[in-house]
Amino acid sequence: MNTPDEEEGCAGCKAASTPKWRQDFPIEWEGDHYVTRREMVKFLTLGSLLLASANWATVVASRLLHRGSHVERYIGSTAALEKAGSMLFRYPTDRDPCIAVRTPAGKLVAYSQLCTHLSCAVVYAAAENGLFCPCHHGLFNLAGQPIAGPPTRPLPRVQLEQRGDQLFAVGMEAL
Amino acid sequence: MSLRQQGTTLFSAMLAFVGAAVVLQLWLLTVSMEALLSGAYKTLIPAAIGSSVLLLVNAGLLRYVLRFDRDAHGE
Repeated sequence: MNTPDEEEGCAGCKAASTPKWRQDFPIEWEGDHYVTRREMVKFLTLGSLLLASANWATVVASRLLHRGSHVERYIGSTAALEKAGSMLFRYPTDRDPCIAVRTPAGKLVAYSQLCTHLSCAVVYAAAENGLFCPCHHGLFNLAGQPIAGPPTRPLPRVQLEQRGDQLFAVGMEAL
Repeated sequence: MSLRQQGTTLFSAMLAFVGAAVVLQLWLLTVSMEALLSGAYKTLIPAAIGSSVLLLVNAGLLRYVLRFDRDAHGE
């Protein structure tokens, strides 16, 4: 068994025989990809920063999408609506289908035609006195509220203005 | 248990905590994206605040690690 002095001397010999470049760069090639716990904590904190930023980006995106619309657009005549019971139109752009209905109480209402479940087109169902989604049998009442099926959110309402025989869409509330 | 072993355990625990917090943030981001696409905007701000709180906790732990290293090297 070696004495402590002999062991220390041997270690000293080993250090002396190690080249200077090895002392400056003590990491082996195989150990190059080894990540210490400290580096991992730094990396995860950076990831945490990115994730928090992405979360706030969704808030900003929602503000941009949540603006609603206040474009004025002619949608048809009241005579056409009375004849068919309901009327389809596009508002605020040609890509946004909407539906106008005269309620049994005589009130004129209009909503986006896109079901709030999976965006199928709702149709007027006089028998149910509501707006029916044929894809998954969702049903909205004429106040736009979901009353049956998978939808849980109301239909966005379109504000209408009647000028004589003409109907205009003048605004749409945001989703 | 030696001081070095205690330190190793402590840093392992911190790493596990930070990792769990990041996984939670990933889940919050998933929820936010789903809420954004489905129009349920009320969820977004609480999720963003939660994610920011987790970020602050993680940043605090990282600061602790860096200060610990600095003090250790200072000695």
